[in-house]
Amino acid sequence: MRITPQAKIATRERILTSAAKLFAANGWDGTTTRDIAIAAQVATGTLFNYFQSKEAILAALVTEALAKAKYDVEQGCRQSLEEDLFAFMYSGLKSLRKFRTVLASAAETIFSPIARSSAHAWAGDSIRAHHLEQVERILAAHGISRPMPAITLQLYWTLYLGIFAYWAADNSPRQEDTLALLDHSLKLFIGSLAGPEGVKNHARESE
Amino acid sequence: MHVNLNELIAALPEDADPETGPGSLAAQEQLRELTADLAQRRVPVNSLHRLWIVGELSAQIALAYFALWVRRGFANAETRERQLMETNLRLALKMFHRLAYMRGAITKVGQALGSFPDIAPDLIAGTLEQLHFDAPPMHFSLIREMFRNELGKNPEDLFQSFDKQAFAAASFGQVHRARLKTGEDVAVKIQYPGVARTIDADFRNLGALLFPLRLGKDWESIQAAFEEIHRMLKQEVDYEREAESLREIGALFQPSDGIVVPNVYPDYSTPRVLTMDFIPGAHLPHFLETHPSQQLRDQFGTKMLLAWTRIYAAHMNYADPSAGNYVFMEDGRLGLLDFGCVQRYSPEECDLVRLSLRLLDSMETFPEFLVRATGASSRDLADPEYIRLMTDATQWVLEPVTWEGPFDFGDDAHLKRGIERFSALLRKRYTRSHPMYVYYHRSVFALRAVLYRLRARVDARAVFQQLTP
Repeated sequence: MRITPQAKIATRERILTSAAKLFAANGWDGTTTRDIAIAAQVATGTLFNYFQSKEAILAALVTEALAKAKYDVEQGCRQSLEEDLFAFMYSGLKSLRKFRTVLASAAETIFSPIARSSAHAWAGDSIRAHHLEQVERILAAHGISRPMPAITLQLYWTLYLGIFAYWAADNSPRQEDTLALLDHSLKLFIGSLAGPEGVKNHARESE
Repeated sequence: MHVNLNELIAALPEDADPETGPGSLAAQEQLRELTADLAQRRVPVNSLHRLWIVGELSAQIALAYFALWVRRGFANAETRERQLMETNLRLALKMFHRLAYMRGAITKVGQALGSFPDIAPDLIAGTLEQLHFDAPPMHFSLIREMFRNELGKNPEDLFQSFDKQAFAAASFGQVHRARLKTGEDVAVKIQYPGVARTIDADFRNLGALLFPLRLGKDWESIQAAFEEIHRMLKQEVDYEREAESLREIGALFQPSDGIVVPNVYPDYSTPRVLTMDFIPGAHLPHFLETHPSQQLRDQFGTKMLLAWTRIYAAHMNYADPSAGNYVFMEDGRLGLLDFGCVQRYSPEECDLVRLSLRLLDSMETFPEFLVRATGASSRDLADPEYIRLMTDATQWVLEPVTWEGPFDFGDDAHLKRGIERFSALLRKRYTRSHPMYVYYHRSVFALRAVLYRLRARVDARAVFQQLTP
């Protein structure tokens, strides 16, 4: 029997919903792909047709949550570069709050800059690419021309991963300490952008 | 122990940047330039670069004295132990150096003032004005997140209007103007995130470095002072505590006093956000630019002393009476700001206050006071130099209150005398005291410095007699 596209979408959604519930209840280490398959009422083999690994499932959940983050790059570019980057980065972290403790265990596998050949590495690649694309748009809106040198983007991403890892393990009330780290880190990054032409860190007029 | 400036500079902690730090050649040259002939000429207070150097160096000098004392303590130890102590000491000093707010705290408690006996009083007073804990400025995206965390809403949704730019710095944060939906003009103080935990972690680390050091007979006193500073810093970052102080101190004043303590708006306040009345008016530098009459200066000076004394009579110490915390209102009233640094005296401390007040009538009870306030031993009490220096310092503190008629706080000689007398105590290492005096002396010096800048003449005795039993 042919499986309709709608049925595929529904199955994918069921897998993701089940995974989210199990991660919340049992944590990263306490959840297996078999558990997820059973909860989603699919065979384990079927689950692997949709997602190659547990990391891929989490990466998909992260991608969906980030897409819903309340930050519109175009809308947001009304303040200084620092403020816009801060708002963009923090809105992303807030959208991932429900997965924070799970990400504390899994983020290294998904985002590790070292595990390039890892089967899980690609799961984080699309998140990375999308995030950096947004960052470049914000920089461009503040007069920093595209494309950014690869080393600058790598510096940014390394900084971001550090903030991300800190946030995932941050047990201060409402992860307040991450706010301070993010603030200081952005000052460092933006300072590194200052070159011979300087940084056009102007605020755009509001529409 | 008398040390010259070269020895002190040599004892300064190493700076990460040898070219520009306090120990650099440039800084040493500036220090020599600054101290040369200062008794003969006034150094412009608005020379910010020099103020930075003095502010930084005054803290560094305090640390240098501390380092020298500590080294004396373990000079006779075995080599290996001496090396371990030296490592701990250097690490502790580097930490002090790195923590900007600690530099402010060290200088705020007045420990370093005695290091510059010849410095122009204007410069000392100006330096005290500049000393505040520096938090990095917060941009609006960060402010918005703090509001969401603390009050569950964006500031633009909570208030009728909210200025995105801060109009003033505050301890560990900044202050914004806003208007409530009910129309009141308010000042909203917002704290930099994570500060309280930073302070705890820093003190833990410093303690781990300092406690193994052999600091001799003064160690208990230093440890108590260290803990007092920690406690007061934690209090300063608790805005709910500050709100309580505002309410308690506000209740001490009637409209006829002409002293304004802002109301707090509890629905817009949390431990890290404090919303209170905005008090319009000028701060000291702008007020002085209007060339106020001597009468106006005296009136404001009287109100400052009245405010401080009435709070003191209520068994509290308004421990940060610096220039930035007074507002000179157009109608002649004096506004008081920043109640983060209010000491509340325990029953034991109230006893000490009562004992000190008896000295106004007669110095007969001075030995008893010394024993209670400084832990003076019978050996100390038998030492004529100890008694002389402690008497001199105490009499300086009491001088305005024992003066008949208006006391001229603008007299250069009075402020310099205070600095010299406390400097003498520092040099002789007669600094052991009850921890309450850590902030008490800071408070006395800070208020005298403001009254000095104001050139106010105040009948301090009359103010004091009104309020104390």
